[in-house]
Parts: sequence; structure tokens; C-alpha cells
Amino acid sequence: MRINPNITSDILNAISQAELQQQKAVQEVATGKRVNVPSDDPAAAAEMVQNLALSSQTDQYLQNTSSVEGLLQTADSALSSVVTSLNQAIGLGVQGSTGTLSSSNRQAIVEQLQGVFAQVVQLANSSYEGSYIFGGTATTAPPYAPDPTQTDGVTYNGNTGVNSVDIANGRSIQINVPGSQIFQAAGGDVMGSLQQLITALQSGNTTASGTATTQLRTAMDSLSQQRVFYGNAINQLTSNQSFLQQEKVNLQTQQNDLVGIDPAQAATDLSQAEMAYNSGLAAAAKVLPPSLMDYLK
Amino acid sequence: MPGLTSSILMATQSLLADQGALATTTNNISNANTPGYTREVAILNEAPPSIEGSLVYGNGVTLDKIQSVRDQLLDLRISEETQQQGSAQSQLSAMQQVQALFSDSTQGIGADLTAFFNSISQLSTNPTSVPQRQSVLTAAQNLVSSFQQTESNLNTIQSDLNQSVSDTVSQINSLTQQIAQLNAQVGQLQSLGKDPGVLADQENQLVQQLSQLTDVSVIQTEHGETITTSGGTALVVGGQSFSLQVAPNASGMEHIFAQGQDITASIQNGQLGGTLQIRDTVIPGILNQIDTLAGQFATSFNTAHEAGFDLSGNPGAAFFSVTAGTGAASSLRVAITDPNAIAASSDGSAGSNGNIAQLMAVQTQALPSGANPLDSYANVVSLTGNVTAQAQAEVSASTASLNQLNDQRGSISGVSIDQESANLITYQRAFEAAARVVTTVDQLTQTIIGMGASAPTVY
Repeated sequence: MRINPNITSDILNAISQAELQQQKAVQEVATGKRVNVPSDDPAAAAEMVQNLALSSQTDQYLQNTSSVEGLLQTADSALSSVVTSLNQAIGLGVQGSTGTLSSSNRQAIVEQLQGVFAQVVQLANSSYEGSYIFGGTATTAPPYAPDPTQTDGVTYNGNTGVNSVDIANGRSIQINVPGSQIFQAAGGDVMGSLQQLITALQSGNTTASGTATTQLRTAMDSLSQQRVFYGNAINQLTSNQSFLQQEKVNLQTQQNDLVGIDPAQAATDLSQAEMAYNSGLAAAAKVLPPSLMDYLK
Repeated sequence: MPGLTSSILMATQSLLADQGALATTTNNISNANTPGYTREVAILNEAPPSIEGSLVYGNGVTLDKIQSVRDQLLDLRISEETQQQGSAQSQLSAMQQVQALFSDSTQGIGADLTAFFNSISQLSTNPTSVPQRQSVLTAAQNLVSSFQQTESNLNTIQSDLNQSVSDTVSQINSLTQQIAQLNAQVGQLQSLGKDPGVLADQENQLVQQLSQLTDVSVIQTEHGETITTSGGTALVVGGQSFSLQVAPNASGMEHIFAQGQDITASIQNGQLGGTLQIRDTVIPGILNQIDTLAGQFATSFNTAHEAGFDLSGNPGAAFFSVTAGTGAASSLRVAITDPNAIAASSDGSAGSNGNIAQLMAVQTQALPSGANPLDSYANVVSLTGNVTAQAQAEVSASTASLNQLNDQRGSISGVSIDQESANLITYQRAFEAAARVVTTVDQLTQTIIGMGASAPTVY
């Protein structure tokens, strides 16, 4: 059988194939990636698009979590101060309801209580990053304005809206409770009870002031219950944070599975490609020169 | 009965035949590395014998002809495979440019889509913050630029391919002209029953070059070859070539005409076929997906945006402006410039973020095309990857098969230096022997002449 006498092109093909393999192997080892262009693995490349999006979303959820955490903590500590003030007010109420007080002493208590009221109003107007946190979704203006014409002594300029923020895929958290629900709830009206106590003490009616003090206690309990919402939300955020961190690790692992190389495999591939290339060259150097001409001299 | 003179003549003929054979061998060796060269063999034949009574005398050797050793069927197979390879190669090189646009998943439309929605998600934590509103607008602007840039890059690749269409057609025309010239001469020799040899080699070489460029089918006739496109349009008939023309259509894409007929759609193979495939099918397909995505995404987002209220409590306006249909991605713009105009609120109060949930829903809800925005984009990425990978596989397959065919062709038509060296010695020895015959016969003639001269003189 006659064979193709011109083996040069075959040898060159084989060498260039081996060189291509080698280049690919080097690229994989150098980049640490198996998929460098979509054609390397179209399905993996498409999944990478999703994976990177999820990973970037997770970063955003983490950022949302820390932004919201600041807001919730500000609200929680404001309410904690309110509770302190209210405890002080209850003490003053009990003191003022004993019938043995002189009117000047009672007046002093009334003034202290008025100070407490002003402080509570101020706390109810707390803001975080320029937004008022107890005004529902009306966050651009202070929600409480002192108003002696009202029975509660204040006008509520906020609304009853609540905001929610996404903190994980498909999971969102309510980030505020409207001020009206905290400070002026039916059956737990902090502002109204304080106002009633002040009025009762001013008129020297100890029975009325005793009732008002009891009412204030109930209102404080109700406010403490509302405060639990913030505590819970902060706890939820903390656990969410570790969930998101874990999620990021998972996504990273998945990313590596999709497009990363197995280092041992890649190293083996590289040395194999290197060997194929070198042996191709060696074989070419050996095989090419001789022909019958060499022996006819 | 043959005499010494006829022996001299026979030996001379043998010398001539051996010289011819030696010349053939020399030509083979000289062309050992010439691309497309087909080895030739000297066909030696016994000369017609002379018959005298019951005796039949051989009359030596004649050099009948110098014949090229070729397998025409194999040449056709090589031409076909070359067309496949040409198509796959031009598809691959175009697709490599296309997929480069989608290679880096950390930037481009996909990454910008996610960044855009992230900025909206961030805004939900503080809906009245103007800096955060501004960053939503910036992210939207980045997304719009990505859409525009991707479309404009694809358009550039498409118009580069369009340019190469007219370049390739002029190459085809120049090749068919050369082939027609050779074909006339080959036809002439063939009709005289002669082996066209070198001319056929050259023609064959040109046909292979032509196969690289476009799809051709070659029919062997008594008067040389007839070359047509696979759609049946004549390119070369006998000594005549028919050139192809290009003329742009309404959208500026060059179409190919043969004798006034648009044959663009019938060209499937060769570089030209591959280029047309990417220019007319693949890139428009990708552009269509991106345009659909841009149009439907903008519309869905606008609907969600218009359901809300901006910072001043006014109903939301259209967030994006887009002209749906072809070129939607290029027409995409951010319609609002005032950060306060972002409609985050669901009830008109400035601090409400209620509408952000609607805006975010656009990210995960399926568009009318059936997939959510990011999935639609991922589909484009996998489409380009698949087309490129397929072209890559076709290039490897057709290259391997072409190598094998060329090997096969080489085993039939290739010059083996070993074989030629052996032939060289054989013919050299035969030449020497024939020359020796001449010398011997010369001596015999001398003897005969001497026979008369040395006869004893009678006095």
C-alpha cells in the first residue's frame, strides 16, 4: 500500500494540536477558571450570570440589613428613654396623689411632669439619617407638635403607614411602627395619660391623679409591648446577617463548581499537554530528515 | 530478420524513453513540495513488434505518455470538505468576536440589571434620601449604556461581516476568471485525448481556493470542468466565467446577485456562506433577543413605576423611554432626570417605600417573552456560547476530515522522494545499458566493416 509520502503537514498538525491543548491548559491554570468564554461551557456561563446576580443581591441584602439595623436601634433606644421618662412620671404621679402635699410642692411636681412630657414629645420626634422614625411614612416633618388645645396636648402629623425592606430573597421585614400606635394607642395612650395626670395634679384632685397614674402605668406597659417589635426585628436582622454570610459562601462554592478548575486535574492536564507537545517535537525531529537520498551518496 | 541498424534504432529509442522517464522523475522531485502538485508517471510501452514468418521480434520501448496520478472523486470530496471548513472557520472567527461581548459576567447588561435593582433595594431603606435616589438614576444610566453599547458592538461586527461579503465576492470573481482561462486550455487538451497534467493541477488548486470561499459543485465534462454554486448558478462553463455582483438591500446589507438574480439565501457554505449565516441569522437573532428584553423590561418597569408616587406625592411618570421593536436597545433612555421623580411611595407620602416592592418585582417576574430580565440575558449568553462552541466543533471535525482526505490524496498523488530516487536509479541504469547496447552494436558494426577490410588480399 502506498502511504502519503508527505508527512510534514501531518506532523505540523499534530504539533499545533498539542500546542493548542497546552495553551488551553496553561490558561486554565493561570486563570483558575475552566470557563473563560461562554463557548467553553455555555450552560455554565449562563448559570454564572445568575450566580453573580444572586451574589450581588446578597451583598445588597447585607447592606440593607445594616442600614435598617441602625434605624431600628435608634428607635429602640428612643423608646427605652421614653420608658425611663415614664417611670419617672409614674413616680411623680404616685408622689402627687398623696393628699398631704402642699400646693407649691404639687406645682413643682406638675412642672417636672411638664418637663417629662416635653421630653417624650421630643423622643417621639426622633430621626434617623434625616427621616423621622415615628411618623409612619410621613417622615419628612416632625410627627408631634405640642398643641394645648388637644386633650393629648399634641397634634399627630404622621400617618399610619408602615415600610418594609427586603432583607433576603423573598423575605422582608417591617421597619417601623407609626407613632400613633406607640404613643396614642387606644387603651394605652401615653400622651393622653401624661396630660390627664398633669391636669389632675394642677386641680389638686388626688383621686383623679391616682386614676391617671394607673392609666399611665397601663400606657407604659402598652408602649413596652410595642418596643418588643423593635427588639424582635433587631434579633431577626442579626440572625439574617449570618444567614446571608452563609449564603455568600454557598454561592462562592457554587461559582467555583461552575467555572473553577480542579487544581490537581488542571496540573495533570497541563503536564500531559506539555508532554504531548514535547514528544511531538522530538518525533518530528527524528522522523523528518531521512529519505533514500541519504543512503545513495 | 532485424539487423544491427534496427538494434541501434531500438537502443536510441530506449535512450529517448529513459530520458523522458528521467525527466518525469526529475519533475516529480522538483515539485515534491509544490502545493497541489500531482505526481506524474512515464507510461512506457512495448513498441509494435515486427513479424517475420513464424518469428515475432520485439521492437523496443516507446514512451507512450506522461500521466498525472489523480483521483478525481477524492478531489471532489476535498472540495466539499473545504467548503464546510471555510464556513465553520468564518463562523467561528465572527462568533469569537460576538461572544467576547458576553464573556465577562461581572459587567454588561446582566451585571448592570442587578446593580440597578440593588440600588432600588437600597433606596427602600431610606426612601427620602436624595443621594440614594441619585444612585438609582446613575445605575439606570449605566444599564441603559450597557444596552446601547452591546447593540452598537453587535452592529459593528455585523457591518464588518457585511464588508467582508463584498471582499469575498470579488475574490470569487477573480478566481473564477483564472479558472475559466485554465479550463479552456485543459478542455482543449482533454478533447485531444491528452493528459492536461500541470494545467489540471493548477486548476484544481484554484478550485480548492474557490471552495474555501463559497459553495461550489464541480462537474467533469469532456471540455474541462463546469463549476456551479450548489444552488445551480453557473460560475465557470468551459472557457467562460460568470461573475457575481453585490448590491445593498434596504438595510444596507450586501446581497449577492448572479445574472440579476438574488442568490444570497442559497449560499450555505464556504467563507461566504459562514459569513452570511452569522450576518443574516445569528446576529439578528441575538439583536432581536436584546431588543425584546430592552423593550419589555422598560415597559414593565414603567408600569410598576407609574403605579407609585414620587417624593412630592405626584403620580409616577414613565421611568424609561423606549421605542419597541428593532433597535429598542439603542433607543432606551432614562426618561426622568430629577431624583425626586422616582416613584418609591405607594400612598403619596414622601417616606413610604411601598411601591419599591412593585419595582423590585420586575426583577423576578417573567416578561411577556416568558423569562425574567436576567434569565433573558442569560439566554443570550448561552446562545452565543452554543453557536460558538458548535462552530468550534465543526472546525475541528472538518479540519480532521480534511487532513485525512489530504493524506489519502497524498497517498495517491503525492511525490515520494524514496520512490523517485529508486526510479532515478532504475532509469539511470536502463539508460546506461541502452548506451552500452549502442556501443556494443557499434563494435559489431566495426567488426563487420573490419570483416571486409581485413580480408586477405589476393595478388
